[in-house]
Amino acid sequence: MNHTLTRLTSHVPGLDTILGGGLIAGSSYIIQGRPGAGKTILANQIAFAQARQGAKILYITLLAESHDRLFQSLSMLNFYEAERVGKDITYLSLFRTLRLEGLSALVDVLRTELARQGTSMLILDGLLNARESSHSTLDVKTFVAELQGHAAFSGCTVLFLTSARIDDSSPEHTMVDGVLQLEEELIGSRTVRRLRVAKSRGSASLGGLHHYEIHDGGIVVYARLEALFARPSKADHAPDTRVSSGVADLDHRIGGGLPASSATAVVGPGGSGKTSFGLNFLRQATPEKPALHFGFYETPARLSSKARALDIDIDALIASGALTVMWNPLTENIVDALAYQLLEAVQARRVDRLVIDGLAGFARATVDEHRLIEFLAALTNQLRAIDVTTLCTWETRELSAPSLNAASPEVLSLFDNVIGMQLDEADGMIYQGMKVIKIRDSAFAPTVTKLIIPNATASDGFARPSIAGDAIES
Amino acid sequence: MATIVVVDDESLITDFLSFFLRAEGYTVHVARDGRSALELIGEVRPDVVLTDYMMPAMSGLELAQALRASPKLGHIPVVLASAAQGAAARLRGDLFAAVLDKPYAPARLIALLRELTQAGGNAVGGALER
Repeated sequence: MNHTLTRLTSHVPGLDTILGGGLIAGSSYIIQGRPGAGKTILANQIAFAQARQGAKILYITLLAESHDRLFQSLSMLNFYEAERVGKDITYLSLFRTLRLEGLSALVDVLRTELARQGTSMLILDGLLNARESSHSTLDVKTFVAELQGHAAFSGCTVLFLTSARIDDSSPEHTMVDGVLQLEEELIGSRTVRRLRVAKSRGSASLGGLHHYEIHDGGIVVYARLEALFARPSKADHAPDTRVSSGVADLDHRIGGGLPASSATAVVGPGGSGKTSFGLNFLRQATPEKPALHFGFYETPARLSSKARALDIDIDALIASGALTVMWNPLTENIVDALAYQLLEAVQARRVDRLVIDGLAGFARATVDEHRLIEFLAALTNQLRAIDVTTLCTWETRELSAPSLNAASPEVLSLFDNVIGMQLDEADGMIYQGMKVIKIRDSAFAPTVTKLIIPNATASDGFARPSIAGDAIES
Repeated sequence: MATIVVVDDESLITDFLSFFLRAEGYTVHVARDGRSALELIGEVRPDVVLTDYMMPAMSGLELAQALRASPKLGHIPVVLASAAQGAAARLRGDLFAAVLDKPYAPARLIALLRELTQAGGNAVGGALER
């Protein structure tokens, strides 16, 4: 028996990762999902990818829509190449054969066609029909076994597509090497699509649910971040160097600045200056040590004008390559997709300073709220490991211990440093003040420092004294 | 009236065409793949063959080639109705009297069959486009 496994490249983004490397050549799989979940798209996407790699695919439909209707829908997707149909991918309907002659006859026809065409991938759409045509579970088991056996000997990979509810006890489930379940659910008002590798014989897969979406490129799978990044990809060094926060007085109070490659949470109520703090932090970016602003609130244009009011020229920073601004509105996002978008940008641009504005963008995008802690742990650990100094804003109702704890005590413990922003009144003026709540490995003076952004104009209505750094006793 | 042999692996299509063409007065015989179609054509000697492209055992192209090569059956006009092979088939005017792209209007088929059955065996070589 050959012990080396040949993996197939599906070219379905994210799929091969959750399959532990990809489908295994010569193995058989069930792709299960209710109508509309995307099985047909997934199977065809894999088929066309195989065709591009020189394989011959046989796509068998039992009772399904007409082939011309299928091609019309597929032609809307970028992976569809009409020239390959009938040449590299042959579509046949064998429903009549099954109806009139039964399962064994179906196997015979398939054997002949597999040999005749030199097929290396067989896709059978409609296993449910096979099951309903059979007189017993033994018939279905025999069918699957015979087909699987023939295919394995000829090195042919088999994908059975079905909309039947397959569970561990179904005969088909026990016969095949792997089961992929596609589920489309309504959660709140959103349609959420997630898939799961329900069985993976002989190979470690990434368990649990993973989001996927269907767009004009076909299906894209987003591995659950905390599963894929259970541990960060590199070792974390915890360097001794400090990174300036952008506010000299604050730096002075916290041993020179924020610890390099650390993750800082900037928390406080609305209007307390979190975004301003973030912009000021980014101002120090250079093309050699670039920064990224990953926001959910202000559009790039609005962020630019907010920055201008603080005399920070974002456009110049962007033009020089020192800063990239990425914006995802706080609408229906897939949390893992956001994380991958962020991590890819950080890697591609060798980002040194990162501002995430704000945490709510991830929290609201997690369809399963229980994931948030593990998700953030994976994300912050990975950012630390790749030497990014991160600032993450977090809006809370007020800056008090009960308020912070009520929101989520575990979240704060994921951050090395916590800075509280609050609005204070003194000398008849309102100030945005910063309070250090926690700094990793540092002692700090427990006072409130005014957030003074050099040269900022008073266009937002808050007056600022011209002298920086007066401590306000809190 | 004229006899047609309809060949397609998709039974939904052969069911519809049988019903539809019989209603128009044609005698219709059906086959599910190229090989059994060849046998059937040898038996019933139809006036026109309407075939799909992708089929088990023998494709529509292979069927047309086999017919063309047969001295007894080579005169029968073959119409190809295909969802994806239309363009390629039009390059073979020697094999196909006409090519229809699925989905096509049934009325178009009727008009085509009338032409081919009235013209006798003279439609071979003239590739009619949709």
